[in-house]
Amino acid sequence: MKNRVLNSYDDCKEIEDVNDMTDAKVLIIIPAYNESESIENVIDHLTDQAPWCDYLVINDGSTDNTLSICEQEHFHYLDLPINLGIGGAVQAGYVYARKNNYDIAVQMDGDGQHDIAYLKDMLQPILDGEADIVIGSRFLKKEGFQSSQSRRIGIGILSMLIRLTTGQRIIDVTSGYRAVNRMFIDIYSRDYPTDYPEPEAIVTAIMHRGRVKEVPVRMRARESGTSSITLRKSVYYMIKVTLAILICRLSYGFRRAKR
Amino acid sequence: MIPSTLRITLIIAVVCYFIIILYFLKNRALNLKYTLLWLLAGVVMGVLVIFPEMLQRIIRVFGIQSNMNGLFIIAIGFMLMILMALTSIASRQNMKIRSLVQEIGILDKRIRELEDGHSDSVGERDV
Repeated sequence: MKNRVLNSYDDCKEIEDVNDMTDAKVLIIIPAYNESESIENVIDHLTDQAPWCDYLVINDGSTDNTLSICEQEHFHYLDLPINLGIGGAVQAGYVYARKNNYDIAVQMDGDGQHDIAYLKDMLQPILDGEADIVIGSRFLKKEGFQSSQSRRIGIGILSMLIRLTTGQRIIDVTSGYRAVNRMFIDIYSRDYPTDYPEPEAIVTAIMHRGRVKEVPVRMRARESGTSSITLRKSVYYMIKVTLAILICRLSYGFRRAKR
Repeated sequence: MIPSTLRITLIIAVVCYFIIILYFLKNRALNLKYTLLWLLAGVVMGVLVIFPEMLQRIIRVFGIQSNMNGLFIIAIGFMLMILMALTSIASRQNMKIRSLVQEIGILDKRIRELEDGHSDSVGERDV
């Protein structure tokens, strides 16, 4: 594995353990839309702490200099000529992972919210064969950045809705920090929701009989940029995602995939 | 009963409608696949204008009193259908564009790697 050229092996003991534990090919997918301020930090962190993983930045038609940073720093990146939105960008990562035979794909945001230190926790259930999808949840241990009150209420409503429609209890339904196994790399590369995809992708997963597991992570307030969900858009967001979940549930209702 | 001058006007209108569609088709400005619904709408309009008694009977079945209202409702119904068909075409094209863009991104990366001469970089191990 070429990317295992390590520079600071001594101070990442924990990572070594993971490396010993598995030979799985892991790809970290980092969608980036105008993340020029944070992307360098995120990648430096990542190559430092998890050098045995491959990563792929997906420049989703950024209008700032995200692309030139990727070029200068010789990051591994995909450059999408048109802005597809977060769903299409992440899906590009899954398509890439499928084409290049990765065993596990992890998606994390390019704004520094998600901490690579939790990678091991995220991978463990998949490596143990306990789960097909692992979601990093900021609410399980209530540590770190907890988002605003109004957002937590919104997330609670969506969580309830998913519980009603699928019978599964997922708490942090909007978390974009996820790890999926080969089966779901394949499924997501063909069928991934657009616009605000996170809650809908959970329903897609459950409808394909995926075993979804949440693990506690600590999230940081974003280093830069703004959430894709501004206050103005939040009403639209709730309506759209609610409808999307219901439609997604309906469209799979009669053809739940067999495992 | 529809007055005869109106009938003549309508017949001319339908003929114009067909001429325009055929003109577009001839110049390949329209894809025949997407024009079928338009042609069907034209045929229905033509039949109804030439045999207005049919229109009246159909309209009475639905409980509509006025002929002209019936005509409008049928026309609006057709337009809604065509609009829905257009929305579905746009959505499908959206999906296709999405996979094309993703594919371009992946190919772009591959070209960069080949140009740099290190095709052994990320993800190229055992494809």
